[in-house]
Amino acid sequence: MEWREKRKEPPFYPPVNGGRDMHELYIAQSILSSVKKSLPENVATEAVTQVRVEVGQLDAVVSESLLFLFNAIKSESGMPAAELLVETIPVRCRCGACGHEFTLDLPVFLCPVCGSGDTVILQGRGIRLTGISANVDEDTEHGHTDHS
Amino acid sequence: MDIPIIRDVLEESNARAQENRALFDRHGVFAVNIMSSPGSGKTTLLAKTIPLLQQRGLSCAVIEGDITSTLDSERLKPLGIPVVQANTEPFGGDCHVGSHLVQAALKHFDLARVNVLFIENIGNLVCPAEFYLGEDRKVVVLSITEGEDKPLKYPLMFRECSACLLSKMDLAPHLDVNVETLKENLRRTNGRLTVIPISAKTGEGIERWVEWIVKKT
Repeated sequence: MEWREKRKEPPFYPPVNGGRDMHELYIAQSILSSVKKSLPENVATEAVTQVRVEVGQLDAVVSESLLFLFNAIKSESGMPAAELLVETIPVRCRCGACGHEFTLDLPVFLCPVCGSGDTVILQGRGIRLTGISANVDEDTEHGHTDHS
Repeated sequence: MDIPIIRDVLEESNARAQENRALFDRHGVFAVNIMSSPGSGKTTLLAKTIPLLQQRGLSCAVIEGDITSTLDSERLKPLGIPVVQANTEPFGGDCHVGSHLVQAALKHFDLARVNVLFIENIGNLVCPAEFYLGEDRKVVVLSITEGEDKPLKYPLMFRECSACLLSKMDLAPHLDVNVETLKENLRRTNGRLTVIPISAKTGEGIERWVEWIVKKT
């Protein structure tokens, strides 16, 4: 407690400004930001025609919401022609007790062989950018390196 | 042209979280990310927990992420500990506390003087589970009034957490909820979860929860 007495400030501070977040909106923004960072220097963002992502089934991402939000903000990120393709990755686990590997149809993480609840997730968690397609003709590919 | 790539979409969020993690490590801070539905009793729990940690010589601090103005911060005021209010919208709307928000909040603390930092996340069983903030442990508070099926409906939350506090146990005699079924559903979702039934009203389980924290600091 003594350190607090030494301080002049009260223990309460004004709110921190962090901006508004919404789960799928944040993910849509993060996808566009990842695409920008992944484009080769000679490919403009405007040339991007398709963005492919893998979304783990466990991540509770509503694909329709993600697509809607991606389409709503893609132009302001310089990718008006980009189409988002979402592949859902099923959840796969390994049993810590017997080593059995299994895919989940329902969110019940019990080993179907030995019934143990000690399971480790192998896949189906996380959101990954897996590919980008861009319309690039020979001229653009070798010539205009100035727009990024 | 096709550009094949494997890249974590949340890498920026995770980078901020790693920076938070490095700060916690440098100052020996044990950080707990507390999540739940709205109204499960997170703030009440903190108000009961923090004095017990202080009695054990541990100094606490809170990042209050829950929405609806500074109501929760006001409730923690009598504890006399540093609290940073990390919400932005007086009418609500945010769905989770992000690692960048934690990073901004941490600037207001003297972390060298903090042993246990609670990050009270926004009341929501979906979005907060997705994001790593740099914390040591994620903990979910589930009140027994919410029913037996919640672990199966929000599996990511219950998979991500190390402990689940079953709150409002004092209400059990008045409810139809079967606590054993609820516990079984927790086991079906995450067999490694530490389940601690608690009641902030009667004090049930609070000591066990405090010990759980103390052992990890």
